Amino acid sequence: MKTAYIKWIRFLIFIVLAIIAVMSLYPLFYMAFSSMKPTIEYIKHPMGLPQTWYFDNFKALIYRFSLFRLFGNTLLYVGLSMVACLTISIPAAYAFAKLKFSFRNGFYIAMIATMTIPGVTFIIPNYLLMSKIGWTDHIVSVVVIWAVSAIPSTVFLLTSLMRGMPDEILEAIKMDGAKYYQTMTKMILPMSLPGVVTVSVFNATNWWNDLLTPLIYLQSDNLKTVTVAVATVLNRFSSDYPLLLSGLLLSSLPPIAIYIVFQSYIRKGLVVGAVK
Amino acid sequence: MSLKQERWVGLFSLLPAFLLLAIFVGYPMFNTFFHSFTKWDGVTSVFIGWDNFQSILTNGDLPLMLRNNLIFLLSVPGILLISLTVSVLLHEEVRGWRFFRSVYYLPAILSSVVIGFLAKSMFTNNGIVNTFLDKIGLGHFTVDWLNTVPTEFMILILCFYWQTLGQGTLIFLSGLSSISNELFDAAKIDGTSWRQKLFYIVIPSLYPAIFYFTIVNVIYVFVGLFGLVYSITGGGPGYETTPIDYMIYIQAFRSGNMGYASALSVFLFFIVMFITWIQLKISNRLEQ
Repeated sequence: MKTAYIKWIRFLIFIVLAIIAVMSLYPLFYMAFSSMKPTIEYIKHPMGLPQTWYFDNFKALIYRFSLFRLFGNTLLYVGLSMVACLTISIPAAYAFAKLKFSFRNGFYIAMIATMTIPGVTFIIPNYLLMSKIGWTDHIVSVVVIWAVSAIPSTVFLLTSLMRGMPDEILEAIKMDGAKYYQTMTKMILPMSLPGVVTVSVFNATNWWNDLLTPLIYLQSDNLKTVTVAVATVLNRFSSDYPLLLSGLLLSSLPPIAIYIVFQSYIRKGLVVGAVK
Repeated sequence: MSLKQERWVGLFSLLPAFLLLAIFVGYPMFNTFFHSFTKWDGVTSVFIGWDNFQSILTNGDLPLMLRNNLIFLLSVPGILLISLTVSVLLHEEVRGWRFFRSVYYLPAILSSVVIGFLAKSMFTNNGIVNTFLDKIGLGHFTVDWLNTVPTEFMILILCFYWQTLGQGTLIFLSGLSSISNELFDAAKIDGTSWRQKLFYIVIPSLYPAIFYFTIVNVIYVFVGLFGLVYSITGGGPGYETTPIDYMIYIQAFRSGNMGYASALSVFLFFIVMFITWIQLKISNRLEQ
């Protein structure tokens, strides 16, 4: 009697969770199906599967809106930002975690404090600074802003992970007379690889999804990122919802792919701040 | 590496990071503070003292913006409650719970732009929501969702919830899994009911996670809503759905009132600092 009751409760829980899952997923299926409907069919039958599978929206995106260049642009910016951000953050995180020097804690607190400053407070002067140097409407502006604004959180996450590295091994390799460069490439980098992957997954999806920075710094259509192009160029055709939705679908494929591959890293990274 | 060497290596490792942060975060911040006292179009700036702040306080936009931010702020407990409930249910580990956990986080990985436009397309006049209501015989409930202010807020908050549920469940689940089994076993021997277990063991041990989730999202509703507002309402009609961060964008990059926008940024800066201060206060108390 008791077990039957528990089984019944567990079944109810399953139903509730399944309903929430359907609610979470349905809009994504709606996006996928709608993007493969001709406009007239979309207006007549917004629900359900497409009656005729229709791929002209994707063709239009590729030919009329040069989708491949948009993807190339975004990949390039994200890749460069990632390299820049890691090159600067890894040595800093190693220093915070394992080297002893004066004012280390003070510097660390200063670095973490910058994380709490809202990004909008420095966007106007940065925009004017960039236009003074002549970097607006140029990829450097976006790469620099993305990389720099990600440094504090990247350092924070890497430092908290590197602190867990065993000191004995570091001492041992020091005894062997390893130079800084060797310690870095032979020890620190390989050992902190999971952390580097985690933080890069977060950064890459944030950058891919970012609207404000590329919207403000890049004006030419041929420099735009996918997200900005969808939000601005496709939105000019806002009555053509299937076209807009197919753009949304394609622009979300890379983040979804990243999520499917790196799920476990995301789950770990998300709680670093929570357990602190 | 001697200790003396180590000191220099340490400082040297920090140099590039701090140099860049000084140029692209520190300098602009002071610049914004300075220009909040000027009339500034991006080229020439004239010192006007407290005028920007005075006009923020008197021109009537501030109550509206604060109201809008307050509406989003008041929506945070809702998603907190939903995430908590869902995590407690997931923690029962019924069949397929891992799959559900993955599904709930999926919307969080998408851009606010995608979420926003997607929601917008669903809530148009003859969009899927109204069609659905028609089909199940609730035709008289169809509303022009995107043209009345309350429903616009409803859609914005719905999107915010959709984006945040996964983050909440992941944070709370990791909190739940860190509760020791001995505690539960002891409770079982004492014959505690499910409800007692929930309120005397589960919720109290989740306090740090609840606190963290709340702070992150309270800050998010002040500085993170740009993408959603941009794609769903554009801040309109008028400024009816414009929160502070979106107003800064409008004033600076659409109207060219950079001095006024700077003053607003300073205003927002102090709001966020105030929240952070509360966070430090409470987390100190939690540790004790």
